[in-house]
Amino acid sequence: MSKKSTLLIDCSEAGHCCDKNQYKEASVTEKLKMLLHLIYCKKCRKYSSHNSKLTELINQADIKTCPEEQKKMWKKEIEKEITNS
Amino acid sequence: MSTNKIDANKWVDRYSDYLFNFTIVRVNDRELANDLISETFLAGLKSMKNFKGESTERTWLISILKRKIIDHYRKSNSKKGKAEIKIQYNDDSNEGDWLEENAPDRFDKTAEDVMENEELGEAILACMEQLNEKQAKIFKMKTIEGFDTEAICNEFNITPSNLWVIIHRARTTLAQCLEKNWF
Repeated sequence: MSKKSTLLIDCSEAGHCCDKNQYKEASVTEKLKMLLHLIYCKKCRKYSSHNSKLTELINQADIKTCPEEQKKMWKKEIEKEITNS
Repeated sequence: MSTNKIDANKWVDRYSDYLFNFTIVRVNDRELANDLISETFLAGLKSMKNFKGESTERTWLISILKRKIIDHYRKSNSKKGKAEIKIQYNDDSNEGDWLEENAPDRFDKTAEDVMENEELGEAILACMEQLNEKQAKIFKMKTIEGFDTEAICNEFNITPSNLWVIIHRARTTLAQCLEKNWF
C-alpha cells in the first residue's frame, strides 16, 4: 500500500467511521471518506441512517443505569439467600 | 412450548438495569429504587417455586417489582392520612407537586411523550438482552454512561479496535431489534 491513504474505503471501514461518528470520535478525514463512500453505497446509507436513528432513540430514552457497586451488593444478597435456603 | 427457567445468579447481570430504569421513572429516588429492587430479588428467590415458566424471567420479576412499587405508594399514602397534603405546591406552573398526583396513578401518566420515552427506554434495555454480557456491558458504558474508549479498553483489557467491533455488533443487533416498532 502506498503511504498516501486512499480516499476510497470499503464497507467495513465506512461502518467503522459511521460508528465512531455516533460518538463524535471520527476525524474530519474519516468523515469525508465515509461521506464519499455513502454516495455510491446504498447498503451503507441504510446502515448509516439506522445508526443515527439508534443514537437519537437512545438519547431520547434517557436511560438510567445503576452503578456497579450496587450491582455487586445485589449479587451478594442473592448469593447469600441461595446458600442459606 | 419451551418453558423458561430461573437462573437467579444471572439476574443482576441480565435485568438490573432494566429493573432500575423501570423503577427510577416511577419513584424518582435512587435509594428507594435500589431498596425496591433488593426486595424484588428477595421476593423472587422466595417464590421461585411458583414460577411456571410461562412468562420470561424478566416479565415475572417486573410483576413482582410493580407490586413492590404499588405497596410503597400505598404505604406512603396511608402514612399521610388524607392524601391531599401539599408539598411544594407551585401556583405559577401547572406542575404542582401534589402528593395526590405523586401517589396513586403512576402507571398511566397523562403526558404522552413521557410515557413513550419510558416505553422506549424499556424497549432498548430489553433488546440489549440479545447481546452477551460483555457486549452489553461495554455498549452501556460507552453509549449510556459515556465512558472514554480508553477507560473501557483498560477495564476490559481490549484494544480500541476490539471495542469498535463490539460496538458495531451491538449497534447492528439493537437497530434490528428496534426497527419494527421504533424506526
